[in-house]
Amino acid sequence: MKRRTTLIQPLGAPFEPDQAVLSSSNLAIRGLDAARHDRITLGLDDLPEELRNVLESSHELHLRWAAEEHFDAIAPFSSRVSPGLHVHYTSLVSDRPSDTLCSVLRAVFGADEGDRNGVDCTSPEKSFTTPPLRSTRFATSTSLQYYTRLPSLQTLVGFIRRTICHQRQGGAKCHDHADTLLTADSVDIDYDSTSHTLAISGFWSSAPTGGWSEDIGKLAADDKIEIGLLGVEPGASPDELKAGGLLGSIGEDKKLTSHSPSQQGFIRRCQSPSRTLLYNHPPAPKDFTCALHTYLTLPSSVFIDQYQVGTDDPLFLQEHNLVAVRAFSGETDLEAPDWAIDRWGSTWLLELATPSADSADPASNWTSTIPMHLRYLNPSESGYRSAAVPWPVVFWACSTEEEGEMGKNPFDRTNLGYDGLFGPRTIFYQLHPASQHLVEELDVPVLKLKDGEGLFQARNIELGTSVVIILGFLWIIWRLARVVWATGLGANEVKRPETHEKKE
Amino acid sequence: MPSSVIFTVPRVLVGACFLRLILLVYGGWQDANSAVKYTDIDYMVFTDASRYVANGDSPYARDTYRYTPSSRGCLSQLPGNSHLPGPRSRLHLVRSFSLQLMFLLGGLYFSSCVVTRGSSEGLLGVFVAALLWATLTKRPITAGAILGLAVHLKIYPFIYGASILWWWDAQRDGKPATKSDVDPFTRAMEFVTHSRVRFTLSALATFVALNGVMYLWYGMPFLQHTFFHHLTRIDHRHNFSPYATLLYLTSTGVAGFHSESLAFLPQLILSVVALPLALAKKNLATAMLAQTFAFVTFNKVCTSQYFIWYLILLPFYLPTSSLMRKPTLGISAAVLWVVGQALWLWQGFNLEFLGLSSFVPGLFLASLVFFAINIWILGMIVQDAGFNGDPIALAKKVHWEN
Repeated sequence: MKRRTTLIQPLGAPFEPDQAVLSSSNLAIRGLDAARHDRITLGLDDLPEELRNVLESSHELHLRWAAEEHFDAIAPFSSRVSPGLHVHYTSLVSDRPSDTLCSVLRAVFGADEGDRNGVDCTSPEKSFTTPPLRSTRFATSTSLQYYTRLPSLQTLVGFIRRTICHQRQGGAKCHDHADTLLTADSVDIDYDSTSHTLAISGFWSSAPTGGWSEDIGKLAADDKIEIGLLGVEPGASPDELKAGGLLGSIGEDKKLTSHSPSQQGFIRRCQSPSRTLLYNHPPAPKDFTCALHTYLTLPSSVFIDQYQVGTDDPLFLQEHNLVAVRAFSGETDLEAPDWAIDRWGSTWLLELATPSADSADPASNWTSTIPMHLRYLNPSESGYRSAAVPWPVVFWACSTEEEGEMGKNPFDRTNLGYDGLFGPRTIFYQLHPASQHLVEELDVPVLKLKDGEGLFQARNIELGTSVVIILGFLWIIWRLARVVWATGLGANEVKRPETHEKKE
Repeated sequence: MPSSVIFTVPRVLVGACFLRLILLVYGGWQDANSAVKYTDIDYMVFTDASRYVANGDSPYARDTYRYTPSSRGCLSQLPGNSHLPGPRSRLHLVRSFSLQLMFLLGGLYFSSCVVTRGSSEGLLGVFVAALLWATLTKRPITAGAILGLAVHLKIYPFIYGASILWWWDAQRDGKPATKSDVDPFTRAMEFVTHSRVRFTLSALATFVALNGVMYLWYGMPFLQHTFFHHLTRIDHRHNFSPYATLLYLTSTGVAGFHSESLAFLPQLILSVVALPLALAKKNLATAMLAQTFAFVTFNKVCTSQYFIWYLILLPFYLPTSSLMRKPTLGISAAVLWVVGQALWLWQGFNLEFLGLSSFVPGLFLASLVFFAINIWILGMIVQDAGFNGDPIALAKKVHWEN
């Protein structure tokens, strides 16, 4: 097992040397006010068999989870995904996805109990969607995607305690460490078949009350633990961030060694522009062109009409402050009710319009709207059902056609769903949501139906409809019978109209 | 001044054209200047489908395109032509159809709106009028061809086949009436007349030929979207039909008797068997109106565009109807029909705009009330068709006598 813990202090936060003391067996931190990123790398042998089987048949598996409550995603961990659990999966044998992936996902993260807060997939073929093909220059393309709302990682923590902690005999220390995931703001889980390792990363945007106080040490003798205490400040050029601080490795280093802020522009892929950046272009290098985008993750209860929003009618686009639909995938049926849909939903990448530079008034609101439609949902006792729609992510994407390597950095976060829809030389600048709760719950009116109760229960609706239809039918038959009785089936004698008989 | 002096045929024609021209110009203006379009979404579906075809794809690549490829052809161009349909050619075609429609419909604003917004329903009206004309002027081949074409474009006109067949007995072709004492076999053989055979064969040949060509061009998707879709669709969404709530309920898999699977029975017994049999020989146009009314009223789906199907046949019926002879009755029927819809629309507004759960009792009862009002009106149409003389024959007779 390898572990890397990074604590990032905001600019000017107080730090005393005795807040982080490295000994031969552990690092003791006391009351440290910092954002935290933990990454644990496990070999396949450390994992329970059911999970190992799924991973061994996977080419790549990337899970991204984000909390529903607002958090400050600070640099260099400023990239975002919509709250909930995102699964990106490629099977080892093409077109032969694992049959057990869904049951493992249900066991690890919790199954949907009818409240749509858990995994409800039946099989990758049925429930997953296929995002558009990425640029072939990306070797790491994932072929299937899944999303579900997941407010808490309680089930995941229970699973880790039961399996990984048990297997490694980690005891209370392992349990405590697993429990920290309950307060994480985002969690990434990555596996790929070249490294044969599973990496679990958690991010905490702020310290618990009183700061981080913990003894970070090895669980087993062959564990490797790296520690970093970093401060991040703006670099010399606008696309750079400088990070510097103390680094150390438990059991190898005697004390934390100081590293001066690096001058490389390595924190490139994800930066966080200030609020007013919406009205100006982000601080990308000169040869980069930038555009504002939003990436939506929509569960199957809501959908976007690709013909309505994908129009090239400038009046529509102007009214909604949109530029164009750049990509979409998943369930786009315009008519199907929710209960007839197997796949989890759809994803949309739209380019948004921005105010022109001269009309820019940072104080005023700039609104883009994306028309969405609700599907019919199952009847309920109250006559309403909740449809939860996670907040989209909004970001600037700046890219260049020029060839050349982008500076890579150890904090790069990929497989977010939207990064693969852009070329390799793209810098993302994340905008951050202003809301406290990042899932919108819509009250959807549905057929009100109480089981075996009340006047308008299922049986009575069926009975009432049938009776009314049959009465209507019989009424017309009776009218026809009277006609046939009086005049037969043939033609009537043509009468002269009365008005002409009265003619003078 | 009597109304017949003001509304002369040329004046109605010119006025109708003028109204449509104004609406078309206005529609073009609104489309170009407002994000809320005058042109209907279904026209956009047609246009998109045409674009697919122009690029060598199938029109069924456009979601919700559920028509035969030839109806798109009528509105724009024939398949294989590489030009995209220009709005001008559409205006021209819609106008020319509107012109014929207007002649029959007078100043019905509703239809002009629907037609100039780009609905193809008006086109069907023209075919139904042409079918009636070809039948009454005893052109069996032409009538059959028109019926075949109409059914190919939209399925519902097949119901008219039943009434036209029953209407077209030997006496219509000038043969003497059958004696009443012949044996059943002879009677059955007498049913097979020259005109009936020619009408049937012509209709079948046209229908099969058109579908064959479309099948060769577009294969299974054509059959799936034009015909089979209507057999398998769930139709869970709210609409005027009395079945709507039940269909929502049963499509979610809630256990029931599935009585809705028998919904085609009352609909087809009335519109294909009972109404033609009892009324066609007495008054063909009114019988066809009653059939349409029954077909729409008992349909599993009912939306406003279906009401346009009535409009083409109403002018043949109304002048001699009890609705016109007894103004109180006529006005009550019209008011009730509108009130029935208004009740439903009110509940629909609560659901769609206010987000209130108005499926039960609101929409459910409103659709049943609207159904009952329609049944009452249909009962009057049946009564009028059965007991009145043939208004077209009457009109001719009056014309000759004058």
